[in-house]
Amino acid sequence: MVHRAARAARSGPAENLSLTVYRRQMAEIDDLAARGLLAEADRRGVRAEAGRRLLAAAERRDSPLVSASPRLTLVAAMLAPLAALAVYLAVGAPRAADQPFAQRLAQWRQAPLESLTAPELAALMRAAAARNPGDPGPLYYLARYELLSGQPLEASQALDRAIALAPQRADLWDLKGETDLAIGSGDLNAAARQDFQRALALDAQAPGARFYLALEKIDHGDVAGGLADWRALALDLDPADPRRAGLAAAIAQVQATGKPPPQEAPAPAPAPQIQAMVDGLAARLKARPDDPAGWARLVRAYAVLGEADRRDAALAEARRRYAGRPEVLRQLDAATAPQR
Amino acid sequence: MAGRRGRSELRIPMIDELGQFALALALALSLAQTVLSLAARIRRDGALAGAGEGAAVGAFAAVAIGFLALIHAFVSSDFSVLNVAANSHTAKPLLYKVAGAWGSHEGSILLWCLMLTGYGAAMAASRRLPFALKASAVAVQGALGVLFIGYMVFASNPLARVALPPVQGDSLNPLLQDPALAAHPPFLYAGYVGFSVVFSLAAAALAEGRVDPAWARWIRPWTLAAWSLLTMGITLGSFWAYYELGWGGWWAWDPVENASFMPWLLGTALLHSAAVTEKRGALASWTALLGLGAFILAMMGAFLVRSGVLTSVHAFAIDPRRGILLLVILGVAAGAGLGLFAWRAPRLKDEAAFAPISREGALFVNNVLLAAATATVLAGTLLPLIREAIDGVPISVGAPYFNVTFTALLAPALILLPAGPLLAWKRADALGALQRLWAAALIALAGALLSLALVSPRSALAAAGVGLGLWVATGALVEAAERVRAFRAPWSEVGRRLGGLPRGAWGMTLAHLGLGLFAMGAAFETAWRAEAAAALQPGQSMRLAAFELRLAQAGDVVGPNYEAARLLIRVTGPGGRLVCEAAPERRVYAAGGQTTSQVAICPGLLDDVYVTAGDRRDAGVGAGAFLVKAYWNPWVRLVFLGPLLMALGGLVSLSDRRVRFAVPGRARQPLAQAPAE
Repeated sequence: MVHRAARAARSGPAENLSLTVYRRQMAEIDDLAARGLLAEADRRGVRAEAGRRLLAAAERRDSPLVSASPRLTLVAAMLAPLAALAVYLAVGAPRAADQPFAQRLAQWRQAPLESLTAPELAALMRAAAARNPGDPGPLYYLARYELLSGQPLEASQALDRAIALAPQRADLWDLKGETDLAIGSGDLNAAARQDFQRALALDAQAPGARFYLALEKIDHGDVAGGLADWRALALDLDPADPRRAGLAAAIAQVQATGKPPPQEAPAPAPAPQIQAMVDGLAARLKARPDDPAGWARLVRAYAVLGEADRRDAALAEARRRYAGRPEVLRQLDAATAPQR
Repeated sequence: MAGRRGRSELRIPMIDELGQFALALALALSLAQTVLSLAARIRRDGALAGAGEGAAVGAFAAVAIGFLALIHAFVSSDFSVLNVAANSHTAKPLLYKVAGAWGSHEGSILLWCLMLTGYGAAMAASRRLPFALKASAVAVQGALGVLFIGYMVFASNPLARVALPPVQGDSLNPLLQDPALAAHPPFLYAGYVGFSVVFSLAAAALAEGRVDPAWARWIRPWTLAAWSLLTMGITLGSFWAYYELGWGGWWAWDPVENASFMPWLLGTALLHSAAVTEKRGALASWTALLGLGAFILAMMGAFLVRSGVLTSVHAFAIDPRRGILLLVILGVAAGAGLGLFAWRAPRLKDEAAFAPISREGALFVNNVLLAAATATVLAGTLLPLIREAIDGVPISVGAPYFNVTFTALLAPALILLPAGPLLAWKRADALGALQRLWAAALIALAGALLSLALVSPRSALAAAGVGLGLWVATGALVEAAERVRAFRAPWSEVGRRLGGLPRGAWGMTLAHLGLGLFAMGAAFETAWRAEAAAALQPGQSMRLAAFELRLAQAGDVVGPNYEAARLLIRVTGPGGRLVCEAAPERRVYAAGGQTTSQVAICPGLLDDVYVTAGDRRDAGVGAGAFLVKAYWNPWVRLVFLGPLLMALGGLVSLSDRRVRFAVPGRARQPLAQAPAE
């Protein structure tokens, strides 16, 4: 601003630019006449018009330019950054550093696994799958964590790629069946049934396939057959497998009512390590409660895992603790929204 | 070592915040630009004017920094920027991460501001505008910058942050992940916002009371640049709609399409009326009004696509709050411009009258018809919105209304067009001009009669359209031949004249030729397009006009951020000749869970065979079959080639040294000293 002002102050008197335009117009008229597109009589008339413009422009005398005190320029040059700073402080986040994804990924890699949410673990697995494109392992876990994050389509696409690499792995087909169930809102559709049957053909112990195909038997009226399959599954499951408790409850309900359990979109049992890390986070917050980001993460983790009661309890506790800090309350509200 | 590590730990990258500060600085500099330039005009102070111009250049640099910061945030998938979180995804290809910067409401406003300040800086840097006009225009441009940058910073901030960024972004609408659409907005906005300079120069000239031939010359390069870029932008958008949306058409009179078409129509009228003002000093106030109107309609388009009043694949957001703010900006800018016009225009006097049969007479008729066509499109676009706002009754104005009214107004303009450039200024010999066009008339008539006789089903209207297009295209060539006295002077003389022809003349010929080709393509394609649809299993086939389409195989493919069912369809023509193997896809994007059709096009010289794949039938009769839709679009290439030629014509005219700098070129021959357009 100051530089251009100084340059303008040094420049000479302004050129009469209208004259240039009208001189060229005279030349154009002569050219039209030369090409036979303007009769001589018309040429004279039009040329007279252009000549009048030329004379008027030549006679026009604008008052000369001045270059008064540079005070206004200097004031503007000083005020502009100050005004910008004031606006910035109103709309910006001066303490917020960039958070490029690669940097966050590196931080998650360094962090203890139990401190990570399912979407964060999915991001780690996605990066691992990109680094090892021929390995179905990371894709399997990517699918699991996407499913836990409520992203069955992403899970399904990861499994498709894994199955293309290792079509003989029963656990991939088993999880694919659960994913198709989630996409179909819990209905055992043709795609899911096909996946489960494929899993069982490869491994007769495939737990997901055995559970859902038995459930289908119960749905179709073969309660005894379905229950027998479930009981056999319960015996085969590892005693530490968290799904045993849910299975036992389902068996008890069917035995009592003779009807299948209510149809819901099946949330796969959270992987033990996820549950452990959420519990670890809750324990840490109990010990050191002054951690707004930690509370938001705990609320989000419970939301992701579908544990509504614990989510609401954590939210209530955090809200009480940070009642006077609206920015934290906003973070907590954001944490309860569906996450990607 | 310890010291080095310490410095490294202190390094906190804050590119997002630097961008945010730059946008705030751009707002302050735009305000300084307005105040300094206004003060400079009032005091006739050259130094103050220089300071205002410096502020304009600074505002552009600051917005450019903000824009680069946003692109950096998109490329690095920084989901702490709300805009990135809502419109990007780590799996998105790099091109669309970059294009995501202008794929959202906030990013598109930033692109708009980048163009606005860029044009402002270019105008400030121009040394071919007189002091008073330039100072006033730079002030007006700065005021527009304050309005739009203020809106961006406070209501539509593209670099707003979130305290807890999500792990993954929501990704960009898959329909927008397309090369043509990545390029469409920059061209479109360069066109829209290019008219802001004309708006500023018109407002400044009205304030100065000097809307004269020299002013008309000074607005010419800006109008040409804006018009050419807008033509490119609209054509790219139309081409995208054609091959991405899978409906087989290229223009639907969608309200958002209309929003871009209206400034183009007024811009076209402005190009022609400015020529009348420049050559004859006539239509001065009308030209100034068009200069204001083109940008007002561009701003109205910005409001329509961002306010939520329209439902369209193009619309950005349903956001009435921000829509009202944009309406206020539109009201302030348009109100000030039109208020100034109402105050000053009665004092403007045309220098000369002209005879009805003259170049300016023809251009006047052209302007009346273009303005009426704009009004027709405006009415068809706004009336449903107004009616719904009044009594809540939704009504729709569809393609038949636009086709009938628009064609009725544009057909006379096309009929007159070839004669216009052959008429002299002031008073012309109409008979002489028509006599020069006998060959064009003969070719057009023959083309129309042949279309009527040979193409089935018979359509007199379409045949007339083809004839009209031929009339315009061959008329443009005849006019160029007349300029160089082809067939009338020795070929050495013709070659000499050809070499001396100004680029402005070449530009006009290209633009009119392009319009003629477009009219031919549009008439032919609309009337004689064929379509077919069938559920096909591998091995089955269907007929489309003279073609047979056989589904050879179906398989799955994995893309960078989608999975797709891909069909391989063998297209054969008469006699079993293989035309092409089309591979349309049905894509599923996991992020966002959207499904899209990827069209496969078998391009011919002028025609396309256009194939889309639908969903696979999972159960019931015909399980495993795919719904296949196919179109034969005859002469559709002309629909896109024509407007590209028009845009090229504009750019060729712009490259004419005399247009850019408004000074005579160094001609090699006397003939080349002046454009005859």
